[in-house]
Amino acid sequence: MVKEKLQINENGVENTVTINDDVETIKSKKRKAAFTWYIFLLPSFIGILLFMVYPIMESFRLSFFRSNGTMETFIGLQNFQRVLTSNTFWNTVWNTFFIGFFQIFITIPLGFIFASLINSIRRGQNFFKVIYFLPNVTSIVAAAMIFQFVLHPEMGVANYILDALGLPSSTWFSDPSTAKWGVILLAVWHWIGFVIIICLANLQAISPEMYEAAKIDGASGLQQWLFITIPNMSGTFAFLLITGWIGSLQRFNEVYVLGGPNGSPARSIQTMGAFIYERGFTGFEFGIASAATYIMFVIILIFTFINLRVSKMQL
Amino acid sequence: MDQKTSERISNIVKFIILLVCGSLLMMPFIWVVSVGFDRTANITMPFPPRLIPETISSFNYGIVFENGRLIQSYINSGIVTTSSVFLQVSASLLAGYAFSKGNFKYKRLLFILVLCTLMIPMEPRLIPLYTLFNSFSLLNTFWPLILPTVINGMLIFLCKQFFDQLPTTLREAAQIDGAGEFRIFFTVYLPLAGPIAATMVILSFIWSWNDFMWPLVVLNNQDLHTVPLYLASFSLENGTSLGGLTMALATVSILPIVVLYLFLQRYIIQSIALSGVKGE
Repeated sequence: MVKEKLQINENGVENTVTINDDVETIKSKKRKAAFTWYIFLLPSFIGILLFMVYPIMESFRLSFFRSNGTMETFIGLQNFQRVLTSNTFWNTVWNTFFIGFFQIFITIPLGFIFASLINSIRRGQNFFKVIYFLPNVTSIVAAAMIFQFVLHPEMGVANYILDALGLPSSTWFSDPSTAKWGVILLAVWHWIGFVIIICLANLQAISPEMYEAAKIDGASGLQQWLFITIPNMSGTFAFLLITGWIGSLQRFNEVYVLGGPNGSPARSIQTMGAFIYERGFTGFEFGIASAATYIMFVIILIFTFINLRVSKMQL
Repeated sequence: MDQKTSERISNIVKFIILLVCGSLLMMPFIWVVSVGFDRTANITMPFPPRLIPETISSFNYGIVFENGRLIQSYINSGIVTTSSVFLQVSASLLAGYAFSKGNFKYKRLLFILVLCTLMIPMEPRLIPLYTLFNSFSLLNTFWPLILPTVINGMLIFLCKQFFDQLPTTLREAAQIDGAGEFRIFFTVYLPLAGPIAATMVILSFIWSWNDFMWPLVVLNNQDLHTVPLYLASFSLENGTSLGGLTMALATVSILPIVVLYLFLQRYIIQSIALSGVKGE
Protein backbone atom coordinates (compact mmCIF):
# COMPACT_ATOMS: atom_id res chain seq x y z
CA MET A 1 0.00 0.00 0.00
CA VAL A 2 2.58 2.53 1.14
CA LYS A 3 4.93 1.73 -1.70
CA GLU A 4 2.23 2.20 -4.30
CA LYS A 5 1.40 5.59 -2.88
CA LEU A 6 5.00 6.75 -3.14
CA GLN A 7 5.26 5.63 -6.75
CA ILE A 8 2.22 7.48 -7.95
CA ASN A 9 3.04 10.50 -5.86
CA GLU A 10 4.67 12.27 -8.85
CA ASN A 11 1.32 12.75 -10.50
CA GLY A 12 -0.95 14.97 -8.43
CA VAL A 13 -4.26 14.02 -9.98
CA GLU A 14 -3.72 10.32 -9.69
CA ASN A 15 -2.63 10.82 -6.13
CA THR A 16 -5.98 12.18 -4.94
CA VAL A 17 -7.74 9.32 -6.70
CA THR A 18 -5.61 6.80 -4.82
CA ILE A 19 -6.31 8.49 -1.52
CA ASN A 20 -10.01 8.35 -2.33
CA ASP A 21 -9.55 4.68 -3.19
CA ASP A 22 -7.85 4.16 0.13
CA VAL A 23 -10.70 5.81 1.95
CA GLU A 24 -13.07 3.62 -0.05
CA THR A 25 -11.27 0.42 0.92
CA ILE A 26 -11.20 1.40 4.57
CA LYS A 27 -14.89 2.18 4.40
CA SER A 28 -15.73 -1.06 2.64
CA LYS A 29 -13.57 -2.95 5.10
CA LYS A 30 -15.47 -1.32 7.91
CA ARG A 31 -18.73 -2.16 6.23
CA LYS A 32 -17.55 -5.72 5.78
CA ALA A 33 -16.60 -5.89 9.46
CA ALA A 34 -20.01 -4.56 10.44
CA PHE A 35 -21.55 -7.13 8.13
CA THR A 36 -19.66 -9.90 9.94
CA TRP A 37 -21.16 -8.70 13.23
CA TYR A 38 -24.64 -8.99 11.78
CA ILE A 39 -23.88 -12.62 10.94
CA PHE A 40 -23.12 -13.17 14.64
CA LEU A 41 -26.57 -11.82 15.41
CA LEU A 42 -28.37 -13.62 12.62
CA PRO A 43 -29.62 -16.75 14.47
CA SER A 44 -30.95 -14.72 17.40
CA PHE A 45 -32.67 -12.14 15.24
CA ILE A 46 -34.27 -14.70 12.94
CA GLY A 47 -35.62 -16.11 16.21
CA ILE A 48 -36.83 -12.71 17.41
CA LEU A 49 -38.61 -11.96 14.13
CA LEU A 50 -40.15 -15.38 13.64
CA PHE A 51 -40.96 -16.40 17.21
CA MET A 52 -41.43 -13.07 19.01
CA VAL A 53 -42.35 -10.16 16.72
CA TYR A 54 -44.52 -12.09 14.25
CA PRO A 55 -46.61 -13.95 16.87
CA ILE A 56 -47.15 -10.83 18.96
CA MET A 57 -48.46 -8.91 15.95
CA GLU A 58 -50.43 -11.84 14.59
CA SER A 59 -52.23 -12.43 17.88
CA PHE A 60 -53.03 -8.70 18.01
CA ARG A 61 -54.63 -9.04 14.58
CA LEU A 62 -56.44 -12.22 15.59
CA SER A 63 -57.97 -10.54 18.59
CA PHE A 64 -60.20 -8.54 16.22
CA PHE A 65 -61.45 -11.64 14.39
CA ARG A 66 -63.70 -14.54 15.12
CA SER A 67 -61.43 -17.42 14.25
CA ASN A 68 -61.05 -21.13 14.77
CA GLY A 69 -57.80 -21.38 12.83
CA THR A 70 -59.37 -21.86 9.39
CA MET A 71 -62.39 -19.53 9.17
CA GLU A 72 -61.98 -15.86 10.03
CA THR A 73 -64.43 -12.97 10.22
CA PHE A 74 -63.64 -9.45 11.36
CA ILE A 75 -65.69 -8.51 14.40
CA GLY A 76 -63.93 -5.42 15.74
CA LEU A 77 -63.75 -5.16 19.50
CA GLN A 78 -66.32 -7.84 20.25
CA ASN A 79 -63.72 -10.31 21.54
CA PHE A 80 -62.40 -7.78 24.03
CA GLN A 81 -65.92 -6.91 25.05
CA ARG A 82 -66.80 -10.56 25.58
CA VAL A 83 -63.69 -11.26 27.63
CA LEU A 84 -64.01 -8.12 29.74
CA THR A 85 -67.66 -8.81 30.54
CA SER A 86 -67.07 -12.48 31.25
CA ASN A 87 -67.38 -13.43 34.90
CA THR A 88 -65.28 -16.52 34.21
CA PHE A 89 -62.41 -14.32 33.06
CA TRP A 90 -62.56 -11.98 36.07
CA ASN A 91 -62.73 -15.01 38.31
CA THR A 92 -59.43 -16.22 36.81
CA VAL A 93 -57.91 -12.77 37.34
CA TRP A 94 -58.96 -12.91 40.99
CA ASN A 95 -57.59 -16.44 41.41
CA THR A 96 -54.29 -15.51 39.78
CA PHE A 97 -53.78 -12.45 41.97
CA PHE A 98 -54.95 -14.19 45.13
CA ILE A 99 -52.52 -17.10 44.71
CA GLY A 100 -49.72 -14.78 43.59
CA PHE A 101 -50.18 -12.35 46.46
CA PHE A 102 -49.96 -14.97 49.19
CA GLN A 103 -47.19 -16.90 47.47
CA ILE A 104 -45.05 -13.78 47.27
CA PHE A 105 -45.77 -12.28 50.66
CA ILE A 106 -45.24 -15.57 52.43
CA THR A 107 -42.19 -16.76 50.51
CA ILE A 108 -40.05 -13.61 50.39
CA PRO A 109 -39.99 -12.91 54.17
CA LEU A 110 -39.75 -16.60 55.05
CA GLY A 111 -37.03 -17.25 52.49
CA PHE A 112 -35.10 -14.21 53.68
CA ILE A 113 -35.25 -15.41 57.29
CA PHE A 114 -34.01 -18.86 56.28
CA ALA A 115 -31.26 -17.30 54.17
CA SER A 116 -30.16 -15.14 57.11
CA LEU A 117 -30.11 -18.17 59.40
CA ILE A 118 -28.12 -20.22 56.89
CA ASN A 119 -25.74 -17.31 56.37
CA SER A 120 -25.09 -16.92 60.10
CA ILE A 121 -24.35 -20.50 61.10
CA ARG A 122 -20.76 -21.69 61.06
CA ARG A 123 -21.12 -25.26 59.89
CA GLY A 124 -23.44 -26.93 57.42
CA GLN A 125 -24.13 -23.86 55.26
CA ASN A 126 -23.71 -25.81 52.06
CA PHE A 127 -25.76 -28.74 53.35
CA PHE A 128 -28.76 -26.51 54.08
CA LYS A 129 -28.38 -24.67 50.78
CA VAL A 130 -28.62 -27.97 48.91
CA ILE A 131 -31.59 -29.20 50.99
CA TYR A 132 -33.61 -26.01 50.76
CA PHE A 133 -33.04 -25.61 47.04
CA LEU A 134 -34.05 -29.19 46.21
CA PRO A 135 -37.81 -28.52 45.73
CA ASN A 136 -36.95 -25.87 43.15
CA VAL A 137 -35.09 -28.36 40.94
CA THR A 138 -38.05 -30.74 40.83
CA SER A 139 -40.31 -29.92 37.95
CA ILE A 140 -43.48 -28.16 39.08
CA VAL A 141 -45.53 -30.77 37.24
CA ALA A 142 -44.08 -33.64 39.28
CA ALA A 143 -44.42 -31.50 42.41
CA ALA A 144 -48.11 -30.87 41.70
CA MET A 145 -48.64 -34.58 41.18
CA ILE A 146 -47.07 -35.30 44.57
CA PHE A 147 -48.98 -32.52 46.33
CA GLN A 148 -52.29 -33.98 45.23
CA PHE A 149 -51.49 -36.81 47.60
CA VAL A 150 -49.62 -34.86 50.27
CA LEU A 151 -52.63 -32.55 50.64
CA HIS A 152 -55.26 -35.24 50.25
CA PRO A 153 -57.85 -34.52 52.97
CA GLU A 154 -58.18 -38.13 54.17
CA MET A 155 -54.97 -39.91 53.35
CA GLY A 156 -52.51 -37.05 52.98
CA VAL A 157 -49.51 -36.60 55.19
CA ALA A 158 -50.06 -32.84 55.60
CA ASN A 159 -53.37 -33.16 57.43
CA TYR A 160 -51.90 -35.93 59.54
CA ILE A 161 -49.10 -33.65 60.71
CA LEU A 162 -51.50 -30.75 61.31
CA ASP A 163 -53.69 -33.05 63.39
CA ALA A 164 -50.74 -34.37 65.34
CA LEU A 165 -49.68 -30.81 66.15
CA GLY A 166 -53.21 -29.99 67.25
CA LEU A 167 -53.71 -27.55 64.36
CA PRO A 168 -56.88 -27.43 62.26
CA SER A 169 -56.64 -29.54 59.09
CA SER A 170 -58.04 -28.50 55.75
CA THR A 171 -60.01 -29.90 52.83
CA TRP A 172 -57.39 -28.53 50.36
CA PHE A 173 -58.08 -29.40 46.72
CA SER A 174 -61.36 -31.17 47.37
CA ASP A 175 -63.23 -27.98 48.20
CA PRO A 176 -63.43 -24.76 46.12
CA SER A 177 -63.04 -22.61 49.22
CA THR A 178 -59.68 -24.11 50.21
CA ALA A 179 -58.23 -25.24 46.86
CA LYS A 180 -56.36 -21.96 46.34
CA TRP A 181 -54.52 -22.49 49.63
CA GLY A 182 -53.32 -25.84 48.36
CA VAL A 183 -51.84 -24.13 45.30
CA ILE A 184 -50.30 -21.44 47.51
CA LEU A 185 -48.66 -24.04 49.74
CA LEU A 186 -47.26 -25.83 46.67
CA ALA A 187 -46.04 -22.53 45.23
CA VAL A 188 -44.33 -21.52 48.47
CA TRP A 189 -42.70 -24.94 48.78
CA HIS A 190 -41.44 -24.78 45.22
CA TRP A 191 -40.26 -21.14 45.13
CA ILE A 192 -38.67 -20.77 48.54
CA GLY A 193 -35.39 -22.38 47.46
CA PHE A 194 -34.98 -19.81 44.71
CA VAL A 195 -35.64 -16.94 47.13
CA ILE A 196 -33.11 -18.36 49.59
CA ILE A 197 -30.38 -18.75 46.97
CA ILE A 198 -30.88 -15.21 45.65
CA CYS A 199 -30.95 -13.77 49.18
CA LEU A 200 -27.84 -15.70 50.20
CA ALA A 201 -25.88 -14.50 47.18
CA ASN A 202 -26.75 -10.90 48.02
CA LEU A 203 -26.27 -11.30 51.78
CA GLN A 204 -22.72 -12.40 51.12
CA ALA A 205 -22.15 -9.30 49.01
CA ILE A 206 -22.81 -6.90 51.91
CA SER A 207 -19.50 -5.46 53.02
CA PRO A 208 -18.34 -6.99 56.33
CA GLU A 209 -16.90 -3.61 57.37
CA MET A 210 -20.39 -2.31 58.04
CA TYR A 211 -20.99 -5.08 60.53
CA GLU A 212 -17.62 -4.49 62.17
CA ALA A 213 -18.37 -0.80 62.55
CA ALA A 214 -21.77 -1.64 64.05
CA LYS A 215 -20.20 -4.13 66.45
CA ILE A 216 -17.78 -1.50 67.69
CA ASP A 217 -20.74 0.77 68.31
CA GLY A 218 -22.25 -2.03 70.41
CA ALA A 219 -25.08 -3.12 68.11
CA SER A 220 -26.57 -6.52 68.90
CA GLY A 221 -27.01 -9.25 66.29
CA LEU A 222 -30.69 -8.46 65.88
CA GLN A 223 -30.00 -4.73 65.59
CA GLN A 224 -27.40 -5.39 62.91
CA TRP A 225 -29.91 -7.52 61.03
CA LEU A 226 -32.62 -4.86 61.26
CA PHE A 227 -30.53 -1.79 60.49
CA ILE A 228 -27.79 -3.06 58.20
CA THR A 229 -28.91 -6.27 56.55
CA ILE A 230 -32.50 -5.42 55.68
CA PRO A 231 -31.83 -1.95 54.16
CA ASN A 232 -28.99 -3.44 52.13
CA MET A 233 -31.28 -6.11 50.75
CA SER A 234 -33.92 -3.74 49.36
CA GLY A 235 -32.67 -4.21 45.80
CA THR A 236 -32.90 -7.96 46.19
CA PHE A 237 -36.43 -7.77 47.55
CA ALA A 238 -37.43 -5.57 44.63
CA PHE A 239 -35.95 -8.07 42.19
CA LEU A 240 -37.79 -10.97 43.86
CA LEU A 241 -41.02 -9.00 44.00
CA ILE A 242 -40.92 -8.22 40.29
CA THR A 243 -39.81 -11.63 39.03
CA GLY A 244 -42.19 -13.27 41.50
CA TRP A 245 -45.17 -11.31 40.19
CA ILE A 246 -44.27 -11.84 36.55
CA GLY A 247 -44.04 -15.58 37.23
CA SER A 248 -47.26 -15.75 39.25
CA LEU A 249 -49.33 -13.85 36.73
CA GLN A 250 -48.38 -16.49 34.16
CA ARG A 251 -49.15 -19.43 36.44
CA PHE A 252 -50.41 -22.41 34.48
CA ASN A 253 -48.49 -25.69 34.83
CA GLU A 254 -49.40 -26.68 38.36
CA VAL A 255 -53.04 -25.62 38.19
CA TYR A 256 -53.41 -27.57 34.95
CA VAL A 257 -52.10 -30.73 36.62
CA LEU A 258 -54.20 -30.17 39.74
CA GLY A 259 -57.47 -29.08 38.17
CA GLY A 260 -57.31 -29.49 34.41
CA PRO A 261 -57.86 -26.64 31.92
CA ASN A 262 -60.94 -25.38 33.79
CA GLY A 263 -59.29 -25.35 37.21
CA SER A 264 -61.63 -27.63 39.11
CA PRO A 265 -63.06 -27.77 41.70
CA ALA A 266 -65.60 -25.24 40.38
CA ARG A 267 -62.99 -23.09 38.57
CA SER A 268 -61.56 -22.19 41.96
CA ILE A 269 -57.94 -22.53 40.80
CA GLN A 270 -58.29 -21.57 37.14
CA THR A 271 -55.70 -18.91 36.32
CA MET A 272 -55.54 -16.43 33.43
CA GLY A 273 -53.15 -18.76 31.62
CA ALA A 274 -55.56 -21.66 32.05
CA PHE A 275 -58.44 -19.53 30.72
CA ILE A 276 -56.42 -18.80 27.58
CA TYR A 277 -55.51 -22.45 27.17
CA GLU A 278 -59.11 -23.54 27.69
CA ARG A 279 -60.53 -21.09 25.16
CA GLY A 280 -57.71 -21.49 22.66
CA PHE A 281 -57.03 -25.19 22.65
CA THR A 282 -60.06 -26.98 24.01
CA GLY A 283 -62.63 -24.63 22.45
CA PHE A 284 -60.51 -23.43 19.50
CA GLU A 285 -61.81 -19.88 19.93
CA PHE A 286 -58.60 -18.25 18.75
CA GLY A 287 -60.01 -14.73 18.64
CA ILE A 288 -61.30 -14.78 22.22
CA ALA A 289 -58.10 -16.38 23.45
CA SER A 290 -55.96 -13.78 21.67
CA ALA A 291 -57.96 -10.93 23.14
CA ALA A 292 -57.53 -12.51 26.57
CA THR A 293 -53.77 -12.81 26.10
CA TYR A 294 -53.56 -9.12 25.27
CA ILE A 295 -55.59 -8.18 28.31
CA MET A 296 -53.32 -10.40 30.40
CA PHE A 297 -50.23 -8.90 28.77
CA VAL A 298 -51.42 -5.40 29.61
CA ILE A 299 -52.21 -6.44 33.18
CA ILE A 300 -48.68 -7.83 33.54
CA LEU A 301 -47.09 -4.67 32.08
CA ILE A 302 -49.11 -2.31 34.27
CA PHE A 303 -48.47 -4.39 37.33
CA THR A 304 -44.73 -4.66 36.65
CA PHE A 305 -44.62 -0.90 36.19
CA ILE A 306 -46.40 -0.37 39.52
CA ASN A 307 -43.99 -2.79 41.19
CA LEU A 308 -41.04 -0.90 39.75
CA ARG A 309 -42.41 2.39 41.07
CA VAL A 310 -43.27 0.94 44.48
CA SER A 311 -39.84 -0.58 44.93
CA LYS A 312 -38.21 2.54 43.42
CA MET A 313 -35.89 0.32 41.42
CA GLN A 314 -33.70 1.99 38.84
CA LEU A 315 -33.59 0.17 35.54
CA MET B 1 -22.81 -16.08 80.53
CA ASP B 2 -19.89 -14.94 78.42
CA GLN B 3 -20.16 -14.05 74.78
CA LYS B 4 -18.66 -17.24 73.42
CA THR B 5 -21.14 -19.57 75.06
CA SER B 6 -24.09 -17.40 74.11
CA GLU B 7 -22.88 -17.37 70.55
CA ARG B 8 -22.51 -21.14 70.60
CA ILE B 9 -26.02 -21.57 71.98
CA SER B 10 -27.54 -19.27 69.37
CA ASN B 11 -25.67 -21.23 66.73
CA ILE B 12 -27.11 -24.51 67.95
CA VAL B 13 -30.63 -23.05 68.13
CA LYS B 14 -30.37 -21.76 64.56
CA PHE B 15 -29.05 -25.12 63.41
CA ILE B 16 -31.99 -26.94 65.01
CA ILE B 17 -34.55 -24.53 63.51
CA LEU B 18 -33.03 -25.05 60.08
CA LEU B 19 -32.95 -28.80 60.54
CA VAL B 20 -36.61 -29.01 61.58
CA CYS B 21 -37.85 -26.75 58.79
CA GLY B 22 -35.59 -28.51 56.30
CA SER B 23 -37.04 -31.90 57.15
CA LEU B 24 -40.54 -30.45 56.85
CA LEU B 25 -39.57 -29.25 53.37
CA MET B 26 -38.14 -32.69 52.52
CA MET B 27 -41.16 -34.50 53.93
CA PRO B 28 -43.03 -34.84 50.58
CA PHE B 29 -39.97 -36.48 49.00
CA ILE B 30 -39.49 -38.95 51.83
CA TRP B 31 -43.16 -39.86 51.90
CA VAL B 32 -43.29 -40.28 48.12
CA VAL B 33 -40.42 -42.75 48.11
CA SER B 34 -41.93 -44.71 50.98
CA VAL B 35 -45.41 -44.96 49.43
CA GLY B 36 -43.90 -45.98 46.09
CA PHE B 37 -42.42 -49.08 47.73
CA ASP B 38 -45.70 -49.93 49.48
CA ARG B 39 -47.49 -52.86 47.84
CA THR B 40 -50.91 -52.01 49.29
CA ALA B 41 -50.89 -48.31 48.45
CA ASN B 42 -52.81 -48.69 45.18
CA ILE B 43 -55.91 -49.89 46.98
CA THR B 44 -55.85 -47.76 50.11
CA MET B 45 -53.12 -45.34 50.96
CA PRO B 46 -51.47 -46.29 54.24
CA PHE B 47 -52.98 -44.14 56.97
CA PRO B 48 -51.63 -42.99 59.35
CA PRO B 49 -48.64 -42.33 57.11
CA ARG B 50 -45.65 -44.49 57.87
CA LEU B 51 -42.00 -44.12 57.01
CA ILE B 52 -41.29 -47.81 56.39
CA PRO B 53 -43.94 -49.63 54.32
CA GLU B 54 -45.55 -52.71 55.87
CA THR B 55 -44.85 -54.85 52.84
CA ILE B 56 -41.90 -53.50 50.94
CA SER B 57 -42.07 -54.41 47.27
CA SER B 58 -40.86 -53.09 43.96
CA PHE B 59 -44.22 -53.94 42.40
CA ASN B 60 -45.09 -50.34 41.52
CA TYR B 61 -41.69 -49.66 40.02
CA GLY B 62 -42.07 -52.80 37.91
CA ILE B 63 -45.29 -51.46 36.40
CA VAL B 64 -43.83 -48.00 35.84
CA PHE B 65 -41.05 -49.44 33.72
CA GLU B 66 -43.11 -52.20 32.16
CA ASN B 67 -45.44 -49.97 30.23
CA GLY B 68 -42.53 -48.30 28.45
CA ARG B 69 -44.10 -44.87 28.19
CA LEU B 70 -41.91 -43.42 30.91
CA ILE B 71 -38.72 -44.52 29.20
CA GLN B 72 -40.05 -43.26 25.86
CA SER B 73 -40.83 -39.89 27.43
CA TYR B 74 -37.33 -39.76 28.86
CA ILE B 75 -35.85 -40.36 25.43
CA ASN B 76 -38.12 -37.67 23.97
CA SER B 77 -37.20 -35.16 26.66
CA GLY B 78 -33.55 -36.05 26.12
CA ILE B 79 -33.71 -35.36 22.38
CA VAL B 80 -35.61 -32.10 22.79
CA THR B 81 -33.48 -30.81 25.65
CA THR B 82 -30.08 -31.56 24.11
CA SER B 83 -31.06 -29.97 20.81
CA SER B 84 -32.57 -26.91 22.48
CA VAL B 85 -29.60 -26.42 24.78
CA PHE B 86 -27.17 -26.68 21.88
CA LEU B 87 -29.11 -24.27 19.67
CA GLN B 88 -29.87 -21.77 22.42
CA VAL B 89 -26.39 -21.67 23.92
CA SER B 90 -24.63 -21.36 20.54
CA ALA B 91 -26.89 -18.59 19.31
CA SER B 92 -26.64 -16.71 22.61
CA LEU B 93 -22.84 -16.99 22.72
CA LEU B 94 -22.57 -15.51 19.23
CA ALA B 95 -25.01 -12.71 19.95
CA GLY B 96 -23.67 -11.96 23.42
CA TYR B 97 -20.14 -11.72 22.01
CA ALA B 98 -21.23 -9.41 19.21
CA PHE B 99 -23.05 -7.12 21.64
CA SER B 100 -20.00 -6.99 23.88
CA LYS B 101 -17.10 -6.63 21.45
CA GLY B 102 -18.78 -5.73 18.19
CA ASN B 103 -18.73 -2.35 16.55
CA PHE B 104 -21.67 -1.85 14.25
CA LYS B 105 -24.63 0.36 13.55
CA TYR B 106 -27.78 0.09 15.70
CA LYS B 107 -25.92 -1.95 18.32
CA ARG B 108 -27.69 -0.28 21.24
CA LEU B 109 -31.08 -0.39 19.60
CA LEU B 110 -30.76 -4.07 18.75
CA PHE B 111 -29.65 -4.85 22.29
CA ILE B 112 -32.66 -3.04 23.71
CA LEU B 113 -34.80 -5.16 21.39
CA VAL B 114 -33.19 -8.28 22.88
CA LEU B 115 -33.97 -7.04 26.39
CA CYS B 116 -37.56 -6.37 25.35
CA THR B 117 -38.01 -10.06 24.56
CA LEU B 118 -37.58 -10.69 28.29
CA MET B 119 -40.87 -8.94 28.90
CA ILE B 120 -42.87 -11.03 26.43
CA PRO B 121 -44.63 -14.00 28.01
CA MET B 122 -45.46 -17.21 26.18
CA GLU B 123 -49.26 -16.82 26.21
CA PRO B 124 -49.71 -14.12 23.53
CA ARG B 125 -47.46 -16.10 21.20
CA LEU B 126 -49.14 -19.46 21.74
CA ILE B 127 -51.81 -19.37 19.05
CA PRO B 128 -49.81 -17.73 16.21
CA LEU B 129 -46.91 -20.10 16.84
CA TYR B 130 -49.32 -23.02 16.80
CA THR B 131 -50.79 -21.96 13.45
CA LEU B 132 -47.31 -21.17 12.10
CA PHE B 133 -46.01 -24.66 12.81
CA ASN B 134 -49.30 -26.13 11.70
CA SER B 135 -48.95 -24.47 8.29
CA PHE B 136 -45.60 -26.22 7.86
CA SER B 137 -47.17 -29.50 9.08
CA LEU B 138 -44.71 -29.58 11.95
CA LEU B 139 -47.15 -30.17 14.78
CA ASN B 140 -46.49 -33.47 16.51
CA THR B 141 -42.79 -33.28 15.75
CA PHE B 142 -40.01 -32.00 18.00
CA TRP B 143 -39.25 -28.99 15.78
CA PRO B 144 -41.73 -26.61 17.44
CA LEU B 145 -40.12 -27.36 20.80
CA ILE B 146 -36.58 -26.87 19.57
CA LEU B 147 -36.60 -24.02 17.04
CA PRO B 148 -38.20 -21.21 19.11
CA THR B 149 -35.62 -21.69 21.87
CA VAL B 150 -33.02 -20.13 19.55
CA ILE B 151 -33.79 -16.73 21.06
CA ASN B 152 -33.24 -16.22 24.76
CA GLY B 153 -32.76 -12.68 25.98
CA MET B 154 -31.60 -13.74 29.44
CA LEU B 155 -28.75 -15.88 28.10
CA ILE B 156 -27.64 -13.19 25.64
CA PHE B 157 -27.62 -10.69 28.48
CA LEU B 158 -25.57 -12.94 30.80
CA CYS B 159 -23.18 -13.73 27.98
CA LYS B 160 -22.66 -10.07 27.08
CA GLN B 161 -21.96 -9.26 30.73
CA PHE B 162 -19.32 -12.00 30.79
CA PHE B 163 -17.54 -10.91 27.61
CA ASP B 164 -17.60 -7.30 28.86
CA GLN B 165 -15.25 -8.39 31.62
CA LEU B 166 -12.71 -9.84 29.20
CA PRO B 167 -10.12 -7.33 27.94
CA THR B 168 -10.38 -5.95 24.41
CA THR B 169 -6.59 -6.07 24.05
CA LEU B 170 -6.87 -9.78 23.24
CA ARG B 171 -8.80 -8.84 20.13
CA GLU B 172 -6.34 -6.20 19.05
CA ALA B 173 -3.44 -8.61 19.26
CA ALA B 174 -5.25 -11.16 17.11
CA GLN B 175 -6.33 -8.48 14.67
CA ILE B 176 -2.73 -7.41 14.11
CA ASP B 177 -2.00 -11.03 13.24
CA GLY B 178 -4.67 -10.68 10.57
CA ALA B 179 -7.33 -12.92 12.11
CA GLY B 180 -10.94 -12.36 11.02
CA GLU B 181 -13.80 -11.79 13.45
CA PHE B 182 -14.92 -15.40 13.42
CA ARG B 183 -11.41 -16.69 13.99
CA ILE B 184 -10.93 -14.24 16.85
CA PHE B 185 -14.17 -15.43 18.41
CA PHE B 186 -13.51 -19.14 18.05
CA THR B 187 -9.79 -19.19 18.90
CA VAL B 188 -9.43 -16.35 21.41
CA TYR B 189 -12.70 -15.68 23.24
CA LEU B 190 -14.64 -18.92 23.08
CA PRO B 191 -11.94 -20.92 24.91
CA LEU B 192 -12.18 -18.39 27.75
CA ALA B 193 -15.97 -18.61 27.92
CA GLY B 194 -16.08 -21.98 29.70
CA PRO B 195 -17.60 -20.72 32.99
CA ILE B 196 -20.39 -18.73 31.36
CA ALA B 197 -21.08 -21.50 28.85
CA ALA B 198 -21.50 -23.97 31.72
CA THR B 199 -23.93 -21.61 33.44
CA MET B 200 -25.85 -21.16 30.21
CA VAL B 201 -26.06 -24.92 29.63
CA ILE B 202 -27.40 -25.45 33.15
CA LEU B 203 -30.04 -22.73 32.92
CA SER B 204 -31.04 -23.74 29.43
CA PHE B 205 -31.29 -27.39 30.46
CA ILE B 206 -33.56 -26.60 33.42
CA TRP B 207 -35.87 -24.39 31.31
CA SER B 208 -36.12 -26.84 28.45
CA TRP B 209 -36.56 -29.94 30.61
CA ASN B 210 -39.38 -28.36 32.62
CA ASP B 211 -41.14 -26.67 29.71
CA PHE B 212 -44.81 -27.57 29.81
CA MET B 213 -47.42 -25.26 28.29
CA TRP B 214 -46.01 -25.08 24.77
CA PRO B 215 -45.29 -28.84 24.45
CA LEU B 216 -48.82 -29.46 25.72
CA VAL B 217 -50.18 -27.38 22.85
CA VAL B 218 -48.14 -28.89 20.03
CA LEU B 219 -47.79 -32.55 21.01
CA ASN B 220 -50.99 -34.58 20.91
CA ASN B 221 -49.27 -37.80 19.98
CA GLN B 222 -48.62 -39.73 23.19
CA ASP B 223 -45.52 -41.38 21.75
CA LEU B 224 -43.86 -37.97 21.52
CA HIS B 225 -44.73 -36.80 25.05
CA THR B 226 -41.90 -35.36 27.11
CA VAL B 227 -41.57 -36.30 30.80
CA PRO B 228 -43.72 -33.44 32.21
CA LEU B 229 -46.44 -34.13 29.63
CA TYR B 230 -46.51 -37.82 30.46
CA LEU B 231 -46.72 -37.08 34.18
CA ALA B 232 -49.55 -34.59 33.66
CA SER B 233 -51.58 -36.93 31.46
CA PHE B 234 -51.09 -39.80 33.92
CA SER B 235 -52.10 -37.57 36.81
CA LEU B 236 -55.21 -36.21 35.07
CA GLU B 237 -56.30 -39.72 34.03
CA ASN B 238 -55.91 -41.34 37.42
CA GLY B 239 -56.39 -38.50 39.91
CA THR B 240 -55.67 -39.82 43.38
CA SER B 241 -56.83 -43.36 42.71
CA LEU B 242 -53.52 -45.15 42.18
CA GLY B 243 -51.39 -43.83 45.02
CA GLY B 244 -48.55 -46.31 44.96
CA LEU B 245 -48.13 -46.24 41.22
CA THR B 246 -48.28 -42.44 40.99
CA MET B 247 -45.67 -42.08 43.70
CA ALA B 248 -43.36 -44.60 42.07
CA LEU B 249 -43.72 -42.71 38.81
CA ALA B 250 -43.02 -39.39 40.52
CA THR B 251 -39.93 -40.84 42.20
CA VAL B 252 -38.52 -42.27 38.99
CA SER B 253 -39.19 -39.04 37.10
CA ILE B 254 -37.54 -36.84 39.71
CA LEU B 255 -34.62 -39.07 40.64
CA PRO B 256 -32.27 -38.46 37.68
CA ILE B 257 -32.62 -34.71 38.07
CA VAL B 258 -32.00 -34.91 41.81
CA VAL B 259 -28.90 -37.05 41.29
CA LEU B 260 -27.62 -34.63 38.64
CA TYR B 261 -28.36 -31.76 41.02
CA LEU B 262 -26.46 -33.38 43.89
CA PHE B 263 -23.40 -33.82 41.68
CA LEU B 264 -23.52 -30.36 40.13
CA GLN B 265 -25.12 -28.50 43.04
CA ARG B 266 -22.34 -25.95 43.38
CA TYR B 267 -22.55 -24.95 39.74
CA ILE B 268 -26.33 -25.06 39.58
CA ILE B 269 -26.74 -22.88 42.66
CA GLN B 270 -24.11 -20.47 41.33
CA SER B 271 -25.89 -20.26 37.98
CA ILE B 272 -29.24 -19.53 39.57
CA ALA B 273 -27.68 -16.93 41.85
CA LEU B 274 -25.93 -15.32 38.88
CA SER B 275 -29.11 -15.06 36.85
CA GLY B 276 -30.74 -13.38 39.85
CA VAL B 277 -27.93 -11.09 40.89
CA LYS B 278 -27.23 -9.94 37.35
CA GLY B 279 -30.92 -9.56 36.75
CA GLU B 280 -30.97 -6.75 39.23
